[in-house]
Amino acid sequence: MLSNKRKKLTRREFIKGTAVAGTAAVAGTIGFPYVLRATEPKEILIGHIHPLSGFLAFDGQELKKGLQLAVDEINASGGIKSLGGAKLKLLDADSEGKPELAVSAVERLQRAGVVAIMGAYQSAVTIVASQQAERHEIPFVVTVAVADEVTARGFKYTFRVQPSAEQMASQTVKYISEIAKVSSESVKTIAYLHDDTAFGVSLSGHVVKHAPKYGMEVIAKIPYSPRAADVSTEVGKIKASGADVIMATGYFGDGVRVLKTIRDMRVKAKGIIGCGNGAFTHPKFVDELGSLTEHVMDGNYRANPRSPLTKRAFARYKEVYGTEMGPSTVFAYQPIYVLADALERAKSTKREAVREALAKTNLKEHILPQGPIVFGPDGQNVNAQATMMQILGGKIVVVWPDIYSEAKFVFPQPM
Amino acid sequence: MHAGTFTGSNAMTVSFVIESLLNGLLIGGVYSLMAIGLTLIFGVMRVVNFAHGSLIMLGMYASYWTVTLFKIDPYLSILVSLGALFLIGASIQKFLINPILNAPEHNQLLLTLGVSLFMENFAVFVWSPDYRMMKTFYGEINFHIGDVSISLVRLLAFVFAMVLAGILYLILTRTDLGRAIRAASEEPIGAVLMGVNIRRIYIVTFGIGAACAGVSGAAITPFIPVYPYVGWLFVITAFVVVVLGGMGNMLGAFIGGLIIGLADSVGAMFLPGAMKSIISFSIFIIILLFKPTGLFGRGNG
Repeated sequence: MLSNKRKKLTRREFIKGTAVAGTAAVAGTIGFPYVLRATEPKEILIGHIHPLSGFLAFDGQELKKGLQLAVDEINASGGIKSLGGAKLKLLDADSEGKPELAVSAVERLQRAGVVAIMGAYQSAVTIVASQQAERHEIPFVVTVAVADEVTARGFKYTFRVQPSAEQMASQTVKYISEIAKVSSESVKTIAYLHDDTAFGVSLSGHVVKHAPKYGMEVIAKIPYSPRAADVSTEVGKIKASGADVIMATGYFGDGVRVLKTIRDMRVKAKGIIGCGNGAFTHPKFVDELGSLTEHVMDGNYRANPRSPLTKRAFARYKEVYGTEMGPSTVFAYQPIYVLADALERAKSTKREAVREALAKTNLKEHILPQGPIVFGPDGQNVNAQATMMQILGGKIVVVWPDIYSEAKFVFPQPM
Repeated sequence: MHAGTFTGSNAMTVSFVIESLLNGLLIGGVYSLMAIGLTLIFGVMRVVNFAHGSLIMLGMYASYWTVTLFKIDPYLSILVSLGALFLIGASIQKFLINPILNAPEHNQLLLTLGVSLFMENFAVFVWSPDYRMMKTFYGEINFHIGDVSISLVRLLAFVFAMVLAGILYLILTRTDLGRAIRAASEEPIGAVLMGVNIRRIYIVTFGIGAACAGVSGAAITPFIPVYPYVGWLFVITAFVVVVLGGMGNMLGAFIGGLIIGLADSVGAMFLPGAMKSIISFSIFIIILLFKPTGLFGRGNG
C-alpha cells in the first residue's frame, strides 16, 4: 500500500535524523569535552502557554503534542543551521484555562530567557498573554486564538498564522452560500448556538454581519456557557426558530454536549454547520459520538489535505502519539516552523532580531490550505484561509473550496 | 443584534417551554442525588467535602470502564459505581478524615480539597485528559410527543436518582444503621454513650455519601462525556443546592436540586449564556435572606 510505504520511509528518515543528532551530542560531550564547549550548539528556549490542566486540559495537551512534534523534527534534522545547529527546547507554562494566570506565565517564561512565546488556545488568555509579551518586547506567535482583537491592537510583537475570526466567519458564510447554490437549495435563515466566551461571541458576531451579503439572516443567536452541564433549553430555542441551517461554535467538551443534545431533541434543519468549532472537526468527536456526527459540517482551519507535507506530518503524528492529528494541533505544529524559519533568517536569538525576521516571513512550504504565509503590518497572516469540512462515512474531509477538497459534500444533510 | 436575541417567528412555542421545563426537572433530579450525598456527609460529620465533584467523576469512570471493558448493560454498571465509590468514600473517611476529626475545621476542608486534586490528577495520569462518551444504544432512543422530545437516558437518570434517594430515605428512617447515623448526626456524645461506634458510623456515612456521587455520575454517563475535570460542572451546583435546602437536610437537598434544575431551565429561556444562572442564584439569595438556615434548615431563621 502506498501509505504504508510512505510511512516506512518516514520512520527511517526520522530515526536516522535522531541518531545523527544523538551521536553528535554524545561526541560533543564525551569525545571533545573541552574544546567543543565554546561552539557547542546552544539551546533556544521557546515558551508556550496552554491549558495543560483544568477543564481544557485535553485541548491543551493536544496542542503541546503538535509543538513537540515540530520541535523534534527540526532538532532531528540539524536544528537551526544559521545558529550552529542550535536545538529548540520547549518550556511549558500551564494557564489552566484562566486568563488571570497568563500574566504570571509570561513573567516566568521571560525570566527563563525564552526567545519567543506561543499560545494560548483561548482568545481571552491570548489577549492577556500577548499584551504582557508586548510589554517585555517578546515575540508572541499565536497557536490557536481566533478573536480579531489579538492582532487588532497595533502590537509589534504578536503574530498569528491561523485565520482571524473575521476571516474564518466571513469565509464560512461564503462557503455556505456557495454550497447551497451548487446544490440548488435555498438557505435564508441561520440559528446560531455559541459559547459565551470571546471565541463564540466574535465568530457569531461576524456571521451576523456577513450573512446578509449572501442573502442570509441570523434569526436566532443563542449563547451558552461552556461550563454548563446542560444546554437543552438553549438547543430548544434553536429548534423553535425553525431556521434553514444551524450554526454552532464552542470548545470540544461543550461541542460534544451540544451535538448530542441537538440529536436527542431531534432538531431538523438543512444542515448543522460549525464555525471554528472545537469539536466538529476533531477526530475524537467522531470516535465518541459515532453515527450522530455523520454529515455535520464545519467551516474551520485545517491542514491542506492535498499537500505532501501534510501527509508526512500526519503520518509522523500518528506514529509518535498513536492518534490522528487534530486541526488545532496543526496550528501548534506549523507556527513552530514559522518561528524556526525566522530564527534561521535572523541568525540571532535576540528577540528584536527574531521579531524583525518574523515580520518579513514569506513561507511558501507549509501544510496550510493557502498561499505563502505572510504577515500584514498587524501581524495577521494575510493569506489565512478556512475550509469547509464534512463528516462523511465517519471521516472528516475537506469538501470546499473545490481546489482543496477531498470529497463531494452532502447537502442538505439527511436528518 | 444583542446576545441572546431570539426572533424566530414562532419564538416561545408551548412545546419549547414544556421541553425546557421537563429537561430542567430531569437534570434537577440528578442534582438532587449529588446534593444528597454532599449534605449527608456535612450533616453527620460536619465535613465540607470539596472532593464531591471528583467522586462524581470517579463514578462516571467506574461506569464507563465497566461498560466498555466488560460489555455489560450501562444501567447494571451503576451497581459497580455504587460499590466502588462506597469503598473509596469509606477509605477516605477511615484513613484520612477520622485521624484529624479533632483538628480545626479548615484542616478538613483543605484535606478534602487535596483529595480532590489528587483524584483529578490521578485520572489525568491513568486515563489521560481525553473526553470519553459511553457508547450505548439507549443513548439514541428518544420519546417524541408532538414537538417535545425527551431522551430516554435523561429520563432514566432521573428515575435512578429518585429511586436511590427513596432507598436512602428508607435506610435512614427504618433501619438500625439509619437510626445510628441520625443519632451520630444529632447527638454525637449521646450516641457514643448508647454504644454507637461513632467512628464506624462516620466511615459508613462517608461511604454512602460517596456512593450517591458515584450513582449520580454513573446515571449521567450515557449523556455527559467523562473527563478528569467533569466534576466541576456539578460541584458548585451541588453546594448551592445543599445550602439552599439547609445544610445537612436530606429533604432540602432533594427539593433544592429540583428547584435549581428548573430555575436554570427557566433562566436559559430568557437569559443568554452563563447568565442563565442568575435565576437560580437569585432564588438562592432570596431564600437565604428570609431563611438563613436554608429551606428546611433547623435552628433560627
